[in-house]
Amino acid sequence: MTTSVRRLVLSVAMIALACFIAIPLYYILVNTFKTQGDMVAAPLSPPTQLFLGNYQEVLSDPRIYRSFLNTFLVTAAAVVLQLLVGALAAFAMVVRTTTLNRVIGAVLLLGFIVPGQSTLIPLYRTLVGFQLVDTLPGLVIMYLGGSIFCYFLIQGYMRTLPYEIIEAGRLDGAGSFQIFWRLVLPLIKPILVTVGVFQTMWVWNDFLLPTVMISTPEKRTVVLQVYNAVSEFTTDWPMFMTVSVVALVPMVVFFVLTQRHIVNGLLAGGVKG
Amino acid sequence: MTTTMLPRATVREGLVARSRRRPGGWKQLAVNQAFLLPAIVVFVFLFVVPLAQSFYWSLTDFTGYSSDVTFVGLSNYRTILTDPSMLAALGFTLLFGVGTTVVVTLIAIPLAVQLNKRFFGRNLVRSLWFFPAIPSMAILGLVWRYILSPLESGVVNSTLQDLFGVGPLAWLSDGTLARVSVIVVGIWAAAGWHAVLYMAYLQSIPNEYYEVARIDGASARQQFFGITLPLLTPALVISTFLLMTAGLKVFDLPYTLTNGGPGFSTYTITQSIVVAGVSQGRYGLASALAVLFTIAVAALAFGQLWLTKTIERRFV
Repeated sequence: MTTSVRRLVLSVAMIALACFIAIPLYYILVNTFKTQGDMVAAPLSPPTQLFLGNYQEVLSDPRIYRSFLNTFLVTAAAVVLQLLVGALAAFAMVVRTTTLNRVIGAVLLLGFIVPGQSTLIPLYRTLVGFQLVDTLPGLVIMYLGGSIFCYFLIQGYMRTLPYEIIEAGRLDGAGSFQIFWRLVLPLIKPILVTVGVFQTMWVWNDFLLPTVMISTPEKRTVVLQVYNAVSEFTTDWPMFMTVSVVALVPMVVFFVLTQRHIVNGLLAGGVKG
Repeated sequence: MTTTMLPRATVREGLVARSRRRPGGWKQLAVNQAFLLPAIVVFVFLFVVPLAQSFYWSLTDFTGYSSDVTFVGLSNYRTILTDPSMLAALGFTLLFGVGTTVVVTLIAIPLAVQLNKRFFGRNLVRSLWFFPAIPSMAILGLVWRYILSPLESGVVNSTLQDLFGVGPLAWLSDGTLARVSVIVVGIWAAAGWHAVLYMAYLQSIPNEYYEVARIDGASARQQFFGITLPLLTPALVISTFLLMTAGLKVFDLPYTLTNGGPGFSTYTITQSIVVAGVSQGRYGLASALAVLFTIAVAALAFGQLWLTKTIERRFV
């Protein structure tokens, strides 16, 4: 076989396989444009006419916007705080390698191994005591555990910066915080972006913590909203599909904008969101 | 949280190397240590205290309501080993972890090798495989619940009916089929992501290795087993570790796809902890399960660390 023929065969085989893998995605997308009757008649065929009623109904429901806002607020607060706590700790650790700090660093690593499930029940009870259960700030607090992970990846990157930067800052009379904020943070932007992307995907998509913590409908995150839509639209499948598709849009857009960083992250850190 | 540490060549030049030689005053030291404070607070309140509470509760019959807590020794641990729902949860979680790890690895490595070749439509194919990693697993689980539905509009059953005339299969209400379904969806969701991980490592293998091998007359098979696979070992260690820890922590997918059922066929450890701890208020029992779970995940993490070190010593 010549190279070009082999390439063609590979091409056809790989595209066919990928299309098979993508059937579920096609299935939900195509059915959002159908009426219920259309879907039952032929679930896999393209819509006979472009029916936009499902989207009109989903997008006219204020609850979906509310849940987007909730998820956005929680994700933004949680990820920014995680990165800040992680970067501050990394700075302290990297600038001063005393034995004490090395011990602290080793102990912090243990926070890495402990799965969220193991601390969930006691934390839940503590937050009940502080009346933070069923609140968005309570949810953000739960996500702060992710700062330890941020710390670890950030300090690895920070160690590669030249010490002269800090020295120069000191000579110019900058305090530690100024050095951190003005000099170090801009320089570690690549790792902040990479880690931030992974943490965003985790927090935005998380189901475990919202389902445990949130019970008021107005405080639902997007994933929780979709989960509850199932019982609401038991028989109206196209409506459920439409809610799902609408819920997926921000994450897909986010992915398209950040996929370069995801591949970087896979290489640099081996992280899974 | 599904995250892990990785062995990375630490750079010895840079910030660390010289800092020790330049101590500031005490004030400087205090300011510097203050930077650590938020992380320490997070660590103490989100890890140390709850873990200690979990451990303490695991030895008591604490229900969250009664003020008199009785010390019951290891009785909660004994209950776990006799409770059918918890045993089912342990069994299925392990099955899911091992099943997805093995099958995803077997799919992802050859897939990565193919995706690394040049062919028409490669970017599209890569994106389609990778896509299931982007949305929330909970939403995908719900969508698959419709796909596998026994009703006419459940696309798997209607297709089987049209093509082979096979009657509707109870994908989610038969114990064995439900287990298989959850694991297959788990594989579907993870294969592309891990293929991309392997691909990232594949691209760091110098092309010269293959050129030399070809000159020496090595077949494609020999090249794969002689060059590709050994050089993918670091990726293999990371990928299997991620799959295994994610597998042990699995919750979203079975919860949304089958809700742990039918019976307890697809019940998971996490669901068990949540149900016992939050819904039933059996804190002692939930805590004992959480303690066992922590030990299992920690053992896995240290095992992986040890394995990585061993491999690094041998190959690097």
